[in-house]
Amino acid sequence: MRDIFLDLSIRSVRLNFLRSILASIGIVIGVVAISSMGMLGANMQLSVKQQLSSDVNTIMITSDVVRTTSTAGTPVTAEGIDKSTLNDIKNAAGQNVVIPIHRTNTQFTIGSTDGRGSIYGLDPNDITKFLSIDQGDNIRGANDAIVGPNIATNFNMNVGSRIKIGQDNVSITRPTVRVSGILTARGFASDGVNTDNAIIVPDTWYTDHYGNKDIYDQVNVIMTNIDEINQTEAAIDDKVNRKSNVVRITDASSRLSSISSTLGTITSFILAIGSISLVVAAVSIFNVMMMSVNERVQEIGILLSIGTEKGEIRRMFLYEAFILGVIGAVVGGIASLVIGYSVVSAMIGNTAYFFMPESIMYVPYGMIIGVIVCIASGLYPAWKASNMDPIDALRSE
Amino acid sequence: MSDRPLIQLVDVSKVYHLESGDFTALNHVSLDIDENEFVAIMGPSGSGKSTMMNQLGILDVPTTGELFIDGRNVATMSNLERTHMRRDVIGYIFQKFYLIPLLSAYENVEYPLILKYKKRDESGRAWDVLKSVGFDQNMSAHRPNQLSGGQQQRVAIARALVNDPKILLCDEPTGNLDRKTGFAIMDILINLHREGRTVILVTHDPKIAEFAHRTIELEDGRIVSS
Repeated sequence: MRDIFLDLSIRSVRLNFLRSILASIGIVIGVVAISSMGMLGANMQLSVKQQLSSDVNTIMITSDVVRTTSTAGTPVTAEGIDKSTLNDIKNAAGQNVVIPIHRTNTQFTIGSTDGRGSIYGLDPNDITKFLSIDQGDNIRGANDAIVGPNIATNFNMNVGSRIKIGQDNVSITRPTVRVSGILTARGFASDGVNTDNAIIVPDTWYTDHYGNKDIYDQVNVIMTNIDEINQTEAAIDDKVNRKSNVVRITDASSRLSSISSTLGTITSFILAIGSISLVVAAVSIFNVMMMSVNERVQEIGILLSIGTEKGEIRRMFLYEAFILGVIGAVVGGIASLVIGYSVVSAMIGNTAYFFMPESIMYVPYGMIIGVIVCIASGLYPAWKASNMDPIDALRSE
Repeated sequence: MSDRPLIQLVDVSKVYHLESGDFTALNHVSLDIDENEFVAIMGPSGSGKSTMMNQLGILDVPTTGELFIDGRNVATMSNLERTHMRRDVIGYIFQKFYLIPLLSAYENVEYPLILKYKKRDESGRAWDVLKSVGFDQNMSAHRPNQLSGGQQQRVAIARALVNDPKILLCDEPTGNLDRKTGFAIMDILINLHREGRTVILVTHDPKIAEFAHRTIELEDGRIVSS
């Protein structure tokens, strides 16, 4: 059997149908704002995560020893990773792929155009382990090179083009490499190897011209199983950094988490904007509840005088607020599915993540907040109603 | 307890603190009402009738003096205890009926039972009481605003009776009714008194007061005859 106070509340809402619906619309808007803003943020995070997580299986190891110089103006640079450290890393990494990397910046000339960019020295066998070649072939000869797609486009390079490496200086004949292949665009690479604007040469060519044989600027470990990334990092740390910090071990997941936390902040911010509309809704619910109480003073007086407990009067009005909240939340929940989907597809251009739990949970989340806001707005009116003096209330018309 | 009258006022005063100064609505009133009495309270307006009714109905507490109802001192009861006393010991019948507008006639009668037992009535008591006051069952689904004054007052009496109260407080029960309907309502009250209830009736109509066995006249907050 239904509670008579719930019945009274339902009838009161029905009696003042238009007013109640108008107040509920406030809640609808609030729920829609919270849910769709939340879903927008969640979809933003999910899609960025997806873009970044392609390289999260890579551990990046760089030297932690800083080389200081006494010459003024010479930049402070990191020491490289030496051969014995590399062997330790290989031992610790087990069967995961270890890729030692040489890297510096250089000037170069193609035809008569000068340019500047990164140059990487890699074992040709390692290149295909994490890079993909769009045109041409991998490095075969000692003077072959592979270039990134942006550099190729900017300097009109083709397979077979020749690049002079080094600063243009009349007194020196610069070494020349031949482009054997052009890489597929990588975009922002979270494994620290940004090849879109780079030239990749064989490691032997690199050390012949830049020295630093067996001294590497970075070592990447590509995990075959991403779940073991933390154990492998710990193993490397244990092996290499036993006495003092020799290398710095990072992976893209830390960067990913910092980007995620930034996006999380943005999400909270837009959620806060959305919740302003709920504050407005709360005011309108409060107003309607006060009207309902003030219109029914005599009825409250009757209820109190024939023995209704204060708590029962409070319950009656809280039910009313709850009903308004539920109406608003249900309509708002449905509307936020539609509106949220449109907003996400318009602003992110990808609705693949829309129905994932991280995103869709904002609908029930918004609905619950809507109902809670409604009940909270009804607290004072309910309290006011229950504390009326029955004699005064009865006398009012 | 048993030697104490059902209702006992001992030197009861009620003072309202108004901006224009204190107003004494009841001035040192002492009164006993025994079980199964039929008492009419009369007096001109402003004489303290309503204040007296509010005291007897435990809607208010005396400023000074003591009021015992059913052996209990009203001043020492908690708000909740007074609420339960209003629900279980006293039945109210008002001049303006004061039915709950959102509830049907039947639900209005059922309501005090729900308050008392915290559930819908399954005993048929609400129906029985409605029948006993001569209310047409076909009308019981109607809301109060669809009923005539006489019908509404029958529903109100049924509501007052449904929890089997010892005391019936009637505040001008016929004041909003035509003479014929008024007497029909009075017949019901006389029967209820005959069945053993204590009936207290406030009226300014001497014809109505004649039904009572004892008339208490109030003037300026004092009892001038009883």
